[in-house]
Amino acid sequence: MTESTEPGNGSTVWDVLIVDDEEVVREGVRRILEAQGLRVAVAPDAASTLSHPALHRCRLVLCDLILPDRPGTDLIRLLRLVRPDLPVIMITGYATTDHEEQARQAGAAGFLTKPFEESELLEAVRRVLGGHGAASGERRS
Amino acid sequence: MRTRIGTQLILGMGLVTGLSIALMAVVTLKAQRTALVAQMTRSADQLSETIQNSARDSMLENRQDRLHRQIEAIGRGEGIDRIRLFDKKGTIVISSDSAEIGTSVEPGVETRPEHTRIFNVAEGQRMLGIARPIRNEPGCSAAACHAHDPGEKLLGVLDITMPLGPVDRQIARSEARIAGLALLTLLASGLLLWWLNRRLVVRPVEALAAGTRRVAEGDLTTAIPVEARHELGDLARAFNAMTRRLVEAQRQLAQADKLSSLGRLAAGVAHEINNPLTGVLTYGSFLLKRAEGNPELKQDLEIIVRETKRCREIVKGLLDFARQTPLRRQPTDLQDVARRAVAVVMNQLTLHRVALALDLAPDLPLVSADANQLQQVFVNLLLNAVDAVADSGGSIRLAATRAALPAWGHAPVRRATCPRGCDLMDREFRIGGLPAIRATRACGGRETNIHLDPVYGRFNHHVGEACEEGALQIFGCPHCRVPLEVPERRCPRCSAPVFSVLVPGEGAVEWCTRQGCNTSRWETQDAAGARPVVELVVEDNGPGINSEAMAHLFEPFFSTKGGHGTGLGLAVSWGIVEGHGGTIDVWSETGRGTRFTVRLPLEPVEVHQTAAA
Repeated sequence: MTESTEPGNGSTVWDVLIVDDEEVVREGVRRILEAQGLRVAVAPDAASTLSHPALHRCRLVLCDLILPDRPGTDLIRLLRLVRPDLPVIMITGYATTDHEEQARQAGAAGFLTKPFEESELLEAVRRVLGGHGAASGERRS
Repeated sequence: MRTRIGTQLILGMGLVTGLSIALMAVVTLKAQRTALVAQMTRSADQLSETIQNSARDSMLENRQDRLHRQIEAIGRGEGIDRIRLFDKKGTIVISSDSAEIGTSVEPGVETRPEHTRIFNVAEGQRMLGIARPIRNEPGCSAAACHAHDPGEKLLGVLDITMPLGPVDRQIARSEARIAGLALLTLLASGLLLWWLNRRLVVRPVEALAAGTRRVAEGDLTTAIPVEARHELGDLARAFNAMTRRLVEAQRQLAQADKLSSLGRLAAGVAHEINNPLTGVLTYGSFLLKRAEGNPELKQDLEIIVRETKRCREIVKGLLDFARQTPLRRQPTDLQDVARRAVAVVMNQLTLHRVALALDLAPDLPLVSADANQLQQVFVNLLLNAVDAVADSGGSIRLAATRAALPAWGHAPVRRATCPRGCDLMDREFRIGGLPAIRATRACGGRETNIHLDPVYGRFNHHVGEACEEGALQIFGCPHCRVPLEVPERRCPRCSAPVFSVLVPGEGAVEWCTRQGCNTSRWETQDAAGARPVVELVVEDNGPGINSEAMAHLFEPFFSTKGGHGTGLGLAVSWGIVEGHGGTIDVWSETGRGTRFTVRLPLEPVEVHQTAAA
């Protein structure tokens, strides 16, 4: 459950790493992004994110603001130490808009307010990855 | 040991009074005794003078027998015990007691020529002895008898003895009189002290103790009647002020607690509900996209997505309501705010084919306000209006003008107390969106609650049971029962008695007690004159609001929109406008439409912290 390996292909390549402690959120987001041909890895907390192999190869991280082991803003700071150029989209609940500013200061490239629908998610991802992001992905099955 | 203040006071006072009276009695009695003895001495002197005069005559004529008879006669007189005449050797020459004559006493006290003495005789009776010298005179030495040599100076001593019994009896009577008076004084002062203590100390203290007990038991409506015009009265007043403040603090605390727990609850609910909602929405929208070929499935999925989005709006509204962000006031152009609000609802207007007329006066002054929150008010009012006239060819008018608002018909009573300081505002009962003033009303032997319209000059009072038209009514405080009538005032229109409530810092509002006589007076507001305001109107020609809904319009979670309202829009708007020191009025008539009027004061006003509760 902590990682996803693309089937069929021997080498593991990921486009997006999703960090959220709620399985239904992780899986829902994964479904939508995979349907766009993106290769997706998932992690439930900060610790497993930092040890995840996808961290060094993915092009984008979607990260919940509230994680069981540490705040999402802390995770962004740590990620920036490992991969300064890796964009992170912060997923926030409406209840926590006060933290949005902190997340921005920590270096988040975008925001997604829970609950969101498919189009809002894709829009946010596209904005960060640019034209070649989701669109260029080609579904391998 | 517990001893009552009164007892201690009376005992202490009694002791002091008793001691002073005793001291005074000793001094007075001593003086009286001295005066009485002096008086007796004087009369004895006069007597001895008289005896000496007559004795001189008798002696000059050498008629000792006559002198003897005279002395005997005087000696029998009242108040005289004995009169004796000694010669200079101490021999009794003449005595009122004839048996003594010829005997002699030892020269000593009795024969000393000039003295006064007090002595006891055998029966315990006290005596006063006065001795006076009889001196040689030229007449004596020259008399024919030649009894006395001119060289002699002293011829003899006249000794008068008088019983002190009458004096002692008089002193004893005085003593008894003084003791009686002292007892009477002690009793009277004790009684007076007891009465004063009862009136000035015991009763106020008992009232204070009873009030304290009631407050300790949690009854904060307790008010101690203040009658005493001294320190204990001050204490009672301070006590009443304290309970009033307690009530106010408790109310604010409860309000803050309600709001903060609602806020915490909302935040908690929002956080917990957001994750499952995200799941439903992502899966739902994902499936929806893949159901292109299946119209039936697509329709069902559309419903799931739409309703989930509605849940999202409800959670958002709840959080908006709970968050209660503080006002960030700055000079604000209301035209700007109105236009931005219109831009927000433009989609809705187009979608539901609603015509909007903008009627913004060009000379609107800047208002000290929080532009974002005011915009929220406009958006809420506009969305309500859109809902009212949607798809029916209706129209909305948004107007903003400068106005001078007379107190009559507009100035709201935001705080009201009875003369003893009980809070009369009923925040659970609103008239025209504002908390009403609650009082008790008695007419025809029945007592009911009445809710007075808090707006000065408006008479939409809410009465439980109607009185007869024109009947006189008696109004009172629902907490401490104190009557609200103002004794010296009369209704200027019908001369009936008037009643009033106090508005802290703003004088008092009076109403006529006669049912149906809509007369009211608020001198402080009348004197202040019209208030400059900006009036913002959102008006629609929809179906209007029924009176049932009108009463609950500004309550949180009250909605007439059934399916798609959160019931928070007007509650939030009301809180925001209140926060700006303004008012929201609603006018509505079934079948004709609804008009919301927001009035914001132009002068700096106190910000009311009642916010959207």
